[in-house]
Amino acid sequence: MDDKTILLVEDSRQDEALILRALKKNNIGNEVVVARDGAEALTLLAKPDRPLPQLVLLDLKLPKIDGLEVLQRIRAERRTRLLPVVILTSSTEESDRLRGYSFGANSYIRKPVDFTQFAEAVRQLGLYWLIMNEPPPPGREA
Amino acid sequence: MSNVHRNLLEGYAVALRRYLAGPDDAGLSRAYELGRSALNDGLGVLDMAALHAEALRIAAADGEPPARPSEPNKAVEFFIESLSPFEMSLQGYRESNARLTALNEALNQARIASDEANRELESFSYSVAHDLRAPLRSIDGFSQALLEDYDDKLDDEARQYLRYLRESAQQMAQLIDGLLDLSRVTRSELKKEAVDLSALARDVLARLARREPERAVRISVQDGLTAECDARLLNVVLGNLLGNAWKFTSKRADAVIALEQLVVDGVVAYRVSDNGAGFDMAYADKLFGVFQRLHSEVEFEGTGVGLATVQRIVRRHGGSIWAEGAVDRGARFTFSLGEKAFARART
Repeated sequence: MDDKTILLVEDSRQDEALILRALKKNNIGNEVVVARDGAEALTLLAKPDRPLPQLVLLDLKLPKIDGLEVLQRIRAERRTRLLPVVILTSSTEESDRLRGYSFGANSYIRKPVDFTQFAEAVRQLGLYWLIMNEPPPPGREA
Repeated sequence: MSNVHRNLLEGYAVALRRYLAGPDDAGLSRAYELGRSALNDGLGVLDMAALHAEALRIAAADGEPPARPSEPNKAVEFFIESLSPFEMSLQGYRESNARLTALNEALNQARIASDEANRELESFSYSVAHDLRAPLRSIDGFSQALLEDYDDKLDDEARQYLRYLRESAQQMAQLIDGLLDLSRVTRSELKKEAVDLSALARDVLARLARREPERAVRISVQDGLTAECDARLLNVVLGNLLGNAWKFTSKRADAVIALEQLVVDGVVAYRVSDNGAGFDMAYADKLFGVFQRLHSEVEFEGTGVGLATVQRIVRRHGGSIWAEGAVDRGARFTFSLGEKAFARART
């Protein structure tokens, strides 16, 4: 993974295609690595020879290991505990939001059904997390 | 010895003596009556035994002749008869206790079943929220992608069809959101607190105005309206009622929306009124039904879930809601939140 990659953890091929299209449309050209379930995401993040992504876009309902558990494991791991993680999900259930933030999500975004709004959400996400936001310094302990 | 005991003892001693003295048809029924009034006075079986022993002693001291040899057990007979109300009451107690235990068990089973049903409903709602929305996003998103990326290959009719697809997908998404709100109302616990309804209403109206800044609506919200209620749920109530008022006045240049407090039959109530499209009172009973709509999608968009949700919330607070209106002359919705809510809010 390159310095400014995005890790997209998403099991729906349609949502993946829509997110990729929205990023492209908004000229966000960063490489996007896709993991189709929670286990795959954790395996990708655990490879010591690969630099960490700049941002993780995390769906909640995932095969094998669900999003909230992926988030907990990311936060429990020394190397990934400061990684910016944005939950991107269909659910606005209070319990999901509450647990998402308690487990250390940096942001919680609902995927709107209206594609115009969805594309706008992805655009703002990309701008904020890839351009505005300064990531934590790599390989350092606070 | 209390007066109750003393009176009872005297009556018992007299009745016993008469019974022992000779032929006495009413003797046993007197014993029964004495036992019953002892039971009513709160005496126990041990009290009765002591009473009986004392009455025997009094009878002997008065030199009452002992029972004839042919009826040696007359005193015992009398005593047993006086105890029978206690026995009957004990039987009744056992039976009602058994019934109570059975009822409790049934209640417990019902509670377990209802907890289970609630959990199922919760995971059902979760699935609805997550899994039903995902395909809709797909339908909407790829329709838009076709419109944008293949514009040169589509004619006007094809473009219109794709727009219809998007409209339908978005409408269904709204429907799902509405149903989820409705089911959340039933699932979530009421958290009552003092809520500033005036402020809540102004927030809702400000949100509506931001969404349609071109609308000119005269708004009148009475100051200082407070109630003891669930803030989140009342936000849904006012969101729906004021949202409806906003929507149904959209074709009027001189739109007016008001929230005020009034007293109806001695109970404090709140009223949201507007001068919009209104409705025919003949259909008033349909207003609060799920998926019931009095306007077509072309006239005014909507899902038909909002007022059903509002009614459920109001009822959960122990209140009620009713609507009045006339076609093209506006509508007004009046709701109470139960007397307790107001009694506390006023202090």
